[in-house]
Amino acid sequence: MFFDHFAWSIALRGLQYNKGQTLLSVGVVAISVTLIIFLGSLIGGLQARIIDNVTGAIAHIDVTPAEREILALWQFEQPGVLYGGQREAIQPRQATIEDWSVWVDRLELSHPQILAVSPTVEGQGFVSRGARREAVRLVGMIPRRHNAIVDVESDLVSGRFFDLDSAEIAMGRPLAEELGVGQGDRVRLVSATGNIADFTVAGVFETGYQGVDSVTIFLPLRDAQSLFGVGSAVTNIGLKLERIFEADRVATSLEGQVPYELTSWMADNERMLSALRAQSQSSTLILVFTTIAAGFAIASILIMLVVSKLREVGILKAMGATRRQITTIFALEGTLMASLGALAGTVLGVGLSLLVAQVRAGDDRQVFPIEVTVEVVITAIVVAVTVGFVASLYPARRAAKVDPIEVIRGN
Amino acid sequence: MGTEGLAHVVRLCGINKVYENGVTTHVLHDIDLEIAAGEFVTVQGASGSGKSTLLNIIGLLDTASCGELWVAAREVRGLSEDERALTRRDFLGFIFQSHYLLPEFTVLENALMPLRIRGGGAEARRRERVIGLLEEVGLGDRLGFRPRELSGGQQQRVAIVRALANEPVLVLADEPTGNLDQKTGRLVFELMLRLKEVSGTAFLMVSHDERLARETDRVVQLVDGRIADDREQASLRGN
Repeated sequence: MFFDHFAWSIALRGLQYNKGQTLLSVGVVAISVTLIIFLGSLIGGLQARIIDNVTGAIAHIDVTPAEREILALWQFEQPGVLYGGQREAIQPRQATIEDWSVWVDRLELSHPQILAVSPTVEGQGFVSRGARREAVRLVGMIPRRHNAIVDVESDLVSGRFFDLDSAEIAMGRPLAEELGVGQGDRVRLVSATGNIADFTVAGVFETGYQGVDSVTIFLPLRDAQSLFGVGSAVTNIGLKLERIFEADRVATSLEGQVPYELTSWMADNERMLSALRAQSQSSTLILVFTTIAAGFAIASILIMLVVSKLREVGILKAMGATRRQITTIFALEGTLMASLGALAGTVLGVGLSLLVAQVRAGDDRQVFPIEVTVEVVITAIVVAVTVGFVASLYPARRAAKVDPIEVIRGN
Repeated sequence: MGTEGLAHVVRLCGINKVYENGVTTHVLHDIDLEIAAGEFVTVQGASGSGKSTLLNIIGLLDTASCGELWVAAREVRGLSEDERALTRRDFLGFIFQSHYLLPEFTVLENALMPLRIRGGGAEARRRERVIGLLEEVGLGDRLGFRPRELSGGQQQRVAIVRALANEPVLVLADEPTGNLDQKTGRLVFELMLRLKEVSGTAFLMVSHDERLARETDRVVQLVDGRIADDREQASLRGN
């Protein structure tokens, strides 16, 4: 019965009266909560930065043509049937998605997680300007669609991206500097298939993703189609998801519906993800032990409190207080101390996190990528209050068992 | 409380108490005792004669090994710990040798504590009456004081008012003047007599003090756990 006026008044007055013990308990909980919020925000922020580095500039699910194995007639083993035939070399052609425009529309509506769909023609190639030559990844795309996969438009240093015309490209600043070109300069692109074409640099960008800025050149889809000789087809369809960790699940659910291969970023980055998972687990372990330590601290402080109050408890029981009422008193004291500690810890933890988040390196970059989330704060508060409640149960039961006679006899 | 309707607030029939911890100690032997409403009874006896055990059994703080006990016309044998707590809460009051006031509460709050334990608005309903009792014992101007700001006699007076707060049928007092000097003890005892008259509550007091005992309605003498003498002092009875 947590609404017992008697239990509340004894618990509240007890907290006020035993200020030292109250402050000690509140302090212990506050420190734990501060630690949980700060560490949680720091580790969360670090992981978010690592994951963003990996996923920020790529499609979360890549749709590619299923690889077909090329089989010659004599490779079919059908007993009893013999084919006579001439051995002929079959040129492996780059597999493509011919009916991409149909699938782009279908995919957009196929799953609520899918935020954007971008058909691309991608391949390796070279860019050259005079004697300088760099190996690059050529990405032919529809700028307004592809900007949802990697936001180039808002990271433009000069020129444009959305309205790339035919024979115009956009490239990252590091690559442009390497080649010594700027907006308006002309460069030559050579695709892996051997086709050559000249282009004008229409936009220079800096997204902050090295994989994009240093090695990627964006060009209109049609230009890439002719550069790679794929006709009107595309080589990839990229999907951007609302929640990146849904990628595996979305890919699996689409598998039966799409006649192409679906690869989620998670499958491609399995090793990094397991490293992150291990990091999360070790930080969880730290938090669990912090919490347990705080729980023991509250329990031992409350046991001290109960022992110092055995007389009062005995008298209250003699006057007719039930075991439940006595249990409630100490459960309330533990829970209230933990709640006060959680409150103080939240203020301290959020304050400390925001303060540390302000720390900048020389180039004005944030040193600690701290992300204070509502989830972390709520988790810390719920854990602290629950631990306070659970830790108070043993002392509370101990108090409830007090025999009034023992007290009256002076034992 | 309807005590008028009760012939006896407490009735004991063949109560025995045996302690068995390695050695068997028979503390109380076949105790038969009835206490009428509004009666002031003193229990006397040498140390170890079983006075406190008797008081604890009647006060439902201890259980008898065998025998029957009625409190407020209710057989208490077989009641659970909580049921006994509720019976204490609703029908009994306690005064101990030490006052056992809660240091973090004021005089008035301490006196109201049994009503606060009861809950259900009892505190609000009887607050004025408790303030009246505190005024009666001369503490009307000390309501907001903490126990440590009072003298020993004042503290014990608060404890007496606390014992009467829930309008019990019986107040059990174990050496209530034991910790006080003679003069203060006398004042506290007189107060109990007066409050008995005012409230109509029965008192069962354990006391070594012969002179105080002589002024009560009845004296029960315990010798080795048996009632050796039970005499009414009719000359002093008001009715």
